[in-house]
Amino acid sequence: MPETRFVQVGDRKIQLTVGGQGPPLLYLHSAGGETDWFPFVERLAERHTVYLPAHPGFALSTGLESIRDIYDYAWHYEDLLATLGLDRVPIVGLSLGAWLACELAILRPNRVERLVLVNAAGLRVPGAPMAELFIDDLAKLKQLLFFDQSSPGIELLMPSGLDDPRILMWLRAREATARVGWNPYLHNPRLPQHLHRIGCPALVLWGRQDRLIPLAHGEFYASRLPHARLEIIEQCGHMPPFEKPAEFAAAIHRFLASEGGG
Amino acid sequence: MRCFAFHLMPWDRLPADFNEKYESAWTWLPNSIYEPRHGHELYNRYLDELVLADELGFDGVCVNEHHQNAYGTMPSPNLMGAILARQTKRAKIAVIGNALPLYNPPTRVAEEFAMIDVISGGRLIAGLVVGGGPEYYSFTVNPTNARAMFMEAMDLVLRAWSEPGPFEHYGEFWKLKYVNPWPRPIQQPHPTVWIPGAGSKETIDLVAARRFGYMGIPYFHMDFFRKNFASFRESCQQHGYRASPYQLGWLCPIYVAETDEQAWAEYGSHLFYFAHSLLKGLVVLPPGYTSPRSIAGINKALGQFLSTVKTREEIERGGYAIVGSAATVRDKLKDYAGTLGVGNLLGLFQLGTLPADLTQKSMRLFASEVMPALQAFEPDPTMPAGSELALPPRSPSATPA
Repeated sequence: MPETRFVQVGDRKIQLTVGGQGPPLLYLHSAGGETDWFPFVERLAERHTVYLPAHPGFALSTGLESIRDIYDYAWHYEDLLATLGLDRVPIVGLSLGAWLACELAILRPNRVERLVLVNAAGLRVPGAPMAELFIDDLAKLKQLLFFDQSSPGIELLMPSGLDDPRILMWLRAREATARVGWNPYLHNPRLPQHLHRIGCPALVLWGRQDRLIPLAHGEFYASRLPHARLEIIEQCGHMPPFEKPAEFAAAIHRFLASEGGG
Repeated sequence: MRCFAFHLMPWDRLPADFNEKYESAWTWLPNSIYEPRHGHELYNRYLDELVLADELGFDGVCVNEHHQNAYGTMPSPNLMGAILARQTKRAKIAVIGNALPLYNPPTRVAEEFAMIDVISGGRLIAGLVVGGGPEYYSFTVNPTNARAMFMEAMDLVLRAWSEPGPFEHYGEFWKLKYVNPWPRPIQQPHPTVWIPGAGSKETIDLVAARRFGYMGIPYFHMDFFRKNFASFRESCQQHGYRASPYQLGWLCPIYVAETDEQAWAEYGSHLFYFAHSLLKGLVVLPPGYTSPRSIAGINKALGQFLSTVKTREEIERGGYAIVGSAATVRDKLKDYAGTLGVGNLLGLFQLGTLPADLTQKSMRLFASEVMPALQAFEPDPTMPAGSELALPPRSPSATPA
């Protein structure tokens, strides 16, 4: 059974859930703040000991006050990994978490064994603008995030309305996302010039019908990362772990089991 | 009490299919809808209405700042304040206010406000505001920094007015080696400060602690003002003093005509244009602008917001606007001002599509038949605070002729 505990990292108290069997895998969550033991995590945990931390300001993790930009988040993970004694791990990141994983891999390449970027934020690609994530209307957000509007993943991920008790955590997650992603909007203009430094094998995994971050961003990552391959999940929006959990986990297992990341 | 004339300078020509086609009168409403030639007429007409207020004996005029919207076309209220400093003779000029996080560096506000104060001979009321939610979208300023930027900027502006320069400022958001603004304001140690608020505890405590003025943000049900003003008085008490009614302001749409029926017949469609079109998209709460709990709370309070109101009965019951004959308006305003314990009435006389002739007629009727009684009315300085609110609100001394 997965276990949730709190880890002290400097001044911050970090919520961390660990479960599963096998070599370690770090999952960096998206702006949605998915830190529960969802079915997609269970699938990853079949072959890995999954580390599922909440970024500062998400879920019950503290310490957003001293976060100003995405670099602060990246340095935070350097500190967390050191605290946990994880010298070198594969990282799976979704959206905001994938952007964060890239920044960490640039700052501390030796920490990152392999990289899985799922519908990653972090770039501004001319001609392929990102949609507006910072809206209150949950019905519109649902359309933005999911290809299939009847996907059971919607209910797992999102509060249904103002009376849903999950709304406060959802608003908290939005605040933490805005902290690092309001301006520049969900990207770092200096990221492209550093992508060549990420030497580890990388899988760029993308839901084809992502209306928030178009596939062109995935193609850009795959073309600039030295050892990357792009894999597309069909009939899937921005949240593959929720919309296509089986395909999502299978692609990751294949990649992490392969020789040299091919 | 004191009577002010507030102007939003709204855009009065939205396309007929506006409500079907656009979700908001803010931020994203295409500026191709704005017609500069018509804007020329509007600005000049609206300024005339504020100059008229001065001539009619209002205690002050008010302007404010909004960006990229049809609700209020005054991105720079300081430009309007500068014109009014020349064109009015005795009214206070309340610019409420400048959205400090949008000024870089915020010493710009210290400079421009001092200019208006000096030109007008010390008639400025300096409004310092965080800025509305939509402004954070329009300027792409990070809303999670809004409060912290506001606090740093407010302290910097006050210091720039009251402490001899040059001095250094090393804050979190601004680093300035030489702060030394010319001119300095006439009012010493600094111009009167008013801060508008929508009921957040943080703002109420800040204004109470500094002994500034607290202006209630309009378009909510009367109960909302009662609660917020009581909590302001309570906060002043906790800071060791009794709030003056003149620290409180109540912003309210007002329309006066010959009879109640005529007033509603002339005013209704303009009020509902305002409520259902121009207010659309006003209350937007970007992430981190206030706490998640406050955001959830305000989103629920929107059920009591003017934009949801459909009928005259609801408007009258909730006190969203005061409309009627001079006698009706006078009685209602005195009654509400008494129960609110408020010393400044900020009347919104023009609103939405209300044309120049009706606006001026209403202002003249107000000035001759309503305002004298209100200006003679001394609000009760012993209004109860917070939890004492349930007690009978009025003392006999608060009912002059």
